[in-house]
Amino acid sequence: MNEPITGIALGAVIVGLALSTFLTRTSFLLAGARLRLNPRIEIALRYAPVCTLSAIIVPDVLMHAGTALDLSLLNPRLIGALAASLWLCASRNILGCLASGMLAYSLARILL
Amino acid sequence: MNVDEERRATFRAGQRAILQSLPGAGAWGLVSGVAMVKGGLAVPWAIFMSLTVYAGSAQLAALPLIAGGMPLWVIVATGLITNLRFVIYSAALRPYFAQESTGKRAALGFFMTDFTFTLFMRTAQEGRLPEQHRDAWFAGVCTNNWITWQISAITGIVAASYVPTEWGLEFTGTLALIALVGPALTARPALVGAVVAAVIALLAHPIPYRLGLFIAALAGITAATLAESWSKPAPPAVEAS
Repeated sequence: MNEPITGIALGAVIVGLALSTFLTRTSFLLAGARLRLNPRIEIALRYAPVCTLSAIIVPDVLMHAGTALDLSLLNPRLIGALAASLWLCASRNILGCLASGMLAYSLARILL
Repeated sequence: MNVDEERRATFRAGQRAILQSLPGAGAWGLVSGVAMVKGGLAVPWAIFMSLTVYAGSAQLAALPLIAGGMPLWVIVATGLITNLRFVIYSAALRPYFAQESTGKRAALGFFMTDFTFTLFMRTAQEGRLPEQHRDAWFAGVCTNNWITWQISAITGIVAASYVPTEWGLEFTGTLALIALVGPALTARPALVGAVVAAVIALLAHPIPYRLGLFIAALAGITAATLAESWSKPAPPAVEAS
């Protein structure tokens, strides 16, 4: 293991990280007409939010403890996610969804 | 109402649109801030990183590499891979902002996150985007998200030892993502895409740097598109003459 990066070198690393993030975020936005995807692909990308978020959320809920899949109904994150989803089905209120999810998650962690 | 007033009103409408999701962004920012300091970053550098990078998952991925003294290019490459999903987002947003100036497109890209992108796309699909000044609307969304994230991240950085990490506050961020994506799951192709993406993400979870997430997103988008083309009736066959 090398020494941790500090000082000016650390500043350079952070600037590099900022640039790489900026490049990915602005890639197609800045390339504009020069780098255009096939219109059919661009239409398909309206499914991007649903698919990406699902790929973030589901492992976060079911694999939080590590690399093992936790499908047990005693998994506090699963309980919290289910409570939040039920609230969301009943009303579109996001604050209520967050509150009910956190409440169910915390209770499950304390009680189970 | 003149154009300036219209733009200001549209900006404020964007600010209101994200209001309810902000506790999720705040909790995730707070926990990321704490993690940066506990990961060994000095307070001023952690603040600098939060302000310039503004990407929680890339920042957290970089921490062990910084602590381990890895070469610059390795850390930057890791950042690129962790952020690959933003390339998809950028391509999806392009048609909406093609008319804007280069500077504005760069700024909107810099402030685009999982939260703000999803909210924008969902609002667009529900046909609720304002007719005009969409850039101002998205800027309003992004401004509130950025302010919330930075205030909470910097709070987490400065007060790292006082924030109770054992409460699992970061789960609020996951719940806010559920609230953002849930209402879009009513259409069958979207549901197919979400299920495929989730299964691939679980299978690919051991792959580091969120590469599994990128693969899962591409697979989900493909599946949703296929599901959409199958659920539509075939176009009438053209008679050969």
